Amino acid sequence: MAAAIIETSQLTRSYGDICALKPLDLCVPEGEWLTVMGHSGSGKSTLLNLLGGLDRPSGGSITVRGTDLATLSEDGLARFRRDCVGIIFQQHHLIPYLTALENVMMSQYFHSVPDEAEARHALERVGLGHRLKNRPGELSGGEQQRVCIARAIINSPRLLLGDEPTGNLDHKSTTMVMELLRELRDEDRFSIVMVTHNQEVAAWGDRTIHMDDGCLVREERTKGC
Amino acid sequence: MLTALKVIPQLLCWAILVPVLSPSLAGTATAVAAAAGFVAGVAGENLLLAYVGGEIPFRPLRGICGVIFLLLWGASVWALYRSGSTRSEAEPPAPGPIAAGAAAVSVGVLAGALTLCRLAPLDGGAVRLIPYLSLAGAGAVVALGAAFLAKYLPERLAPRGIPLLALVVSALMVMACSVQRLDLFSPLSMEVMKFIHDFVHQFFESMLIPDHPFFRSDVWGYIGLLFGDKVGLWGGLALWYLPVLFIALALRLERLPSVAHIRQGAARRKLLAAFIRERRLRLAAPLLALLFLTGAAYQSRFPATEYWDPKPIEVTATPAGQIAIPKKGEVDLEDGMLHKFSYRQGSREARFFVMLTPAGQLVTTLDACAICQPEGYGQAGNAVICYYCRTLIPLETVGKPGGCNPVPVACSVRGDAVVIDAMMLLNTWESTVQVTAHGKGMGK
Ligand SMILES: Nc1ncnc2c1ncn2[C@@H]1O[C@H](COP(=O)(O)OP(=O)(O)OP(=O)(O)O)[C@@H](O)[C@H]1O
Ligand SMILES: [Mg+2]
Repeated sequence: MAAAIIETSQLTRSYGDICALKPLDLCVPEGEWLTVMGHSGSGKSTLLNLLGGLDRPSGGSITVRGTDLATLSEDGLARFRRDCVGIIFQQHHLIPYLTALENVMMSQYFHSVPDEAEARHALERVGLGHRLKNRPGELSGGEQQRVCIARAIINSPRLLLGDEPTGNLDHKSTTMVMELLRELRDEDRFSIVMVTHNQEVAAWGDRTIHMDDGCLVREERTKGC
Repeated sequence: MLTALKVIPQLLCWAILVPVLSPSLAGTATAVAAAAGFVAGVAGENLLLAYVGGEIPFRPLRGICGVIFLLLWGASVWALYRSGSTRSEAEPPAPGPIAAGAAAVSVGVLAGALTLCRLAPLDGGAVRLIPYLSLAGAGAVVALGAAFLAKYLPERLAPRGIPLLALVVSALMVMACSVQRLDLFSPLSMEVMKFIHDFVHQFFESMLIPDHPFFRSDVWGYIGLLFGDKVGLWGGLALWYLPVLFIALALRLERLPSVAHIRQGAARRKLLAAFIRERRLRLAAPLLALLFLTGAAYQSRFPATEYWDPKPIEVTATPAGQIAIPKKGEVDLEDGMLHKFSYRQGSREARFFVMLTPAGQLVTTLDACAICQPEGYGQAGNAVICYYCRTLIPLETVGKPGGCNPVPVACSVRGDAVVIDAMMLLNTWESTVQVTAHGKGMGK
């Protein structure tokens, strides 16, 4: 078995007296595609935010690529997000007045320095080579999500997090995005943790965990379709 | 007490110099060496004065300052030249402990010697014991204290190589320029002004400037700019700032490292970003040097020692309306200094001065120029300065009309006296002052 990219032990997160995440032990090997399912309010986004360094745990430890996120300072967390994580959301969070290309370059800029040729290449990889100069408003939902994927992988993250990335997409676009993710992962060998409500989407992953009320209740192997 | 205040700018510069020197060279040992150098500089100069006698060695000191400024010029041109060609892959080797110590000691000696000049009495001779000892002590304490504090500064900020030289030279310039006789900036701006004036004169004399009615007003407009009283200041400032600007430009132009061999885009960009960030940090040294040079130029425009500005001597006219001033009377008109006089007739009064120009001619001019408020002139070395606009007028051009030059008054030398026509003097004064004295905005 490959080394673990993510290891949590007794990880908890509570908001006041709401316990969004109950003590959780989770191990994700390098290169795995993990799907997280569960009812609304079961703590999936909470877990994802902790993994991405967007939030801090209330207790327990969370180690990503050997660094304990709980010990990092704000700057350290920002550096961790910049260097190790790519995130795709259901709402695209693209900047509406920048073109697709500029949106991707913005991500390069926050990482280090922009490089237009490389950004263009990333958009070509997600099949948007012909829509470089279009603003998000001029793109379909599926295309916007692909811009988000280009933006998420541009800084070569080791971990790609997706919070219902296909929640807004129809069946065809969903399949396209999933195929794209599979392809990119096979080339770049990053790990994926993806939250979804969609059984079909879950089937693309290697393993699925089910959550309920902040607890991991069940897990199953799914060998991608 | 006041004397202590006088050396504060110098000690401040010194406080910045030491930490700049020490991490770049060999750490705390360098700070100790620099402190020892400072004490040695102060003590050496004072002992020289007290026991060997004689004057403070202003000329050699100024010479040294001039040489290191030229050195900076050379280094900056070299840096600029090299930045265009190939990038030096390796860091310049850090100087060995002996070279570092020697550099620190010599900078210390020079800094100490320059700072002591600020305390030197105007009539020459040694500085009294207490100020002298306290200066040496203060220098050493400041050096060690600054070096101690510098430990908390990030090492990345420490300049190296030519930017370090720029910082050191510019800090020494601040120390020098606040002592009038060590000041490099005002002679520099004066030379620039003289050069431009000479150039325009020659140009005019060789008739290259068209003297045609159509051309005239335009062309003379531009020539007027060249003759403007600020040209020396701006030209001097350009020469003053250019080396440091060159160094900053050279840093900015430094080629990015070659990253073509790194396949992963993110890693490649990261390396570039780190280099660019470091390059930006290295610009801090030239920027600080610019700040120092500005301070030096500022102090130079307002030198610490007073200008030579004698109280006007009242003179009277003969019944025939002639003012005669003996060459060797109450004052020696031919000693190369300006000598002020005032003449009063009823309610009318005029101020003027007489001096011997370097060309050996006795000239008489109003103590006012045609453009400024008549605040008069003082003498600073081989220039007179208009108090209103602070323009330096080289002695060579005193007696010539134009710009902010003092307005010439015809005089004749009869025997051993300078003779001026009183009526003409009063009329010239009044016609000049009428134009310039009314309305502050009008003059300049
Ligand atoms: N910032 C917050 N402050 C207070 N409570 C919060 C906060 N964020 C989440 N919660 C609570 O924590 C619990 C888990 O929320 P979470 O967003 O993780 O659910 P989820 O599984 O992602 O749900 P969904 O599928 O609807 O997105 C919920 O009860 C929610 O109300
Ligand atoms: Mg959610």
